[in-house]
Amino acid sequence: MAAPQLRILVAVKHGVDVGLARADRTTGVVALDTAPRKTSDFDRNAVEEAVRIRERLGGRVTAISVGSASAREALRDAVAIGADDAILVTDPAVPVFDTRAVSRVLAAVSRTLGGFDLFLLGEGSSDHFAGLVGPRVAGELGVADVAYVRKLTVDATGVVAEKDLERELEVVRASFPVIVTVGQEINTPRLPTFMATLKASKKEIRQLSVAEIGLDAAHLDPTVRIDRAAVPATTRKQVTITGNTPDEVARTLVDALRTEGALP
Amino acid sequence: MSPESVLCWSEDPDLAGQLVRLARSVASGPEDRVFAASFDPPSDDGSRRIAEAGAHVLIRPNPAGPASTDPHVVASELRALVDTSHVTLVLLGSTKRGREIAGRLAGLLDAPAETGVARVHLDAGAVVVEREMLSGNALAQETLIARPAVVAIMPDVSASSPPPTVPVVQQVPSTSPAPLSERLELRPKPSGGVRLESAERIVTIGRGLQKKDDLVLIEALATALGASVGCTRPLAAEAGWLSDDHWIGLTGHRVKPRLYIAIGVSGAVQHLVGMRDSQTVVAINKDPNAPIFGQADYRVTGDLYAVVPALTKALDAK
Repeated sequence: MAAPQLRILVAVKHGVDVGLARADRTTGVVALDTAPRKTSDFDRNAVEEAVRIRERLGGRVTAISVGSASAREALRDAVAIGADDAILVTDPAVPVFDTRAVSRVLAAVSRTLGGFDLFLLGEGSSDHFAGLVGPRVAGELGVADVAYVRKLTVDATGVVAEKDLERELEVVRASFPVIVTVGQEINTPRLPTFMATLKASKKEIRQLSVAEIGLDAAHLDPTVRIDRAAVPATTRKQVTITGNTPDEVARTLVDALRTEGALP
Repeated sequence: MSPESVLCWSEDPDLAGQLVRLARSVASGPEDRVFAASFDPPSDDGSRRIAEAGAHVLIRPNPAGPASTDPHVVASELRALVDTSHVTLVLLGSTKRGREIAGRLAGLLDAPAETGVARVHLDAGAVVVEREMLSGNALAQETLIARPAVVAIMPDVSASSPPPTVPVVQQVPSTSPAPLSERLELRPKPSGGVRLESAERIVTIGRGLQKKDDLVLIEALATALGASVGCTRPLAAEAGWLSDDHWIGLTGHRVKPRLYIAIGVSGAVQHLVGMRDSQTVVAINKDPNAPIFGQADYRVTGDLYAVVPALTKALDAK
């Protein structure tokens, strides 16, 4: 009898594009609802890792996104990298910056799909960067989790993962089902070919409502509210140092730094 | 307003002490209580020090052994303490381990959670936090509406010194959860022996450096300045020219020196968040449009291979 296929889930967020989001000139406030969006950086690493595992061991990679209809873009990115299937849970009831609601949705989707062996996520999103969702889904489902992984080995029964902590590297073994979160050090996501991108644009995205995954709006009541997000004002002197030669530039700079006390 | 019951835990004993002091300034009412969890043996000195910071320390000797850091074991034990001590607010350290536990615990409690928190206060029963968003570019104020709430606090957050209390250390039975993962190995990361967080002056090199051998130019300047050497992500994580302890940025180290000199650094947003709190910033870059110049007090447009040796010479001359 053939071994059962590896079931790999990967979550992708269509988050605020940090490079393009603009702050109000006077107040510094960033309008998160209307800011341009893109696939969150580390999520691409999660998809790449999922696809590499499938390429080695076989199985099926299902990408899941939670958000508005624009989150289709993140799913198309995942399919272009190599995900087999794409599922979008879109419902205005889901507060996308509330990790409780997003985690409940991801846990419910995984139950609807009949479970998983390995569930990969980015260790944090470029916009919110709380690092909560992966471990949170694991807590909700009562399965193992390993966060901040920069090296991952998968076999028929589980994973060996190297966690990148502040001052240490910790190697951990966990059996399936397991949730793993990764950062950008784990791999370099491939640049999809033109053909892969074209194919991804035609891929059918399975859309599920909150009700179809067994939740109702009360499960998703916001518990966290973002009152304000603003770019702190920076006041730099912006003095341009010039000179006819590098030596002259250097002397002028050193004098300026000594005058203001930045150098003894 | 019903009284607060705060539970503090961090795997780092210094951070745990900071959390207790913060908890006592946030929940300072006569009925409010501050607990701290420990999984170390009762004889351990750490518990007493945390108790002296003003917490009622609840010890659950870890059935899986003191070395067990399995997130499921830690989160399950904390969850049991939340129930038995009617905890309204959990304060954890916002380290990588702390954020992982925060997520797991919040999942078990179905509670609101936030990490990377620099300030926290209570407002009419809600927990109001300040934290970075948008890869560190923005500062957000968020309100956690439901209770209990789980909040992971950045290291070194200041809190007023609370009045002294009588230290209490109490042993409570463990719930003995079975670990879901097993540690195979723990080893220190390679280190260049620098501590950029406490550096007075920093010279940071970016992708403008053409090859690893050219680091000697940067090191010579650092020596002339009495500065530490920092770098951007590509030099540490991609090229491996410098170890991770030199890396400044969102996922590297956060620094606040008196003087910061960025050389051949373009100024990606993820780097800027790591150096934003520097007092005086100098940028040297051949691209006059490099974003780093927007964050600079002194701007030098020029080739680092000409400017850096000249700067070293000018400093050595005096």
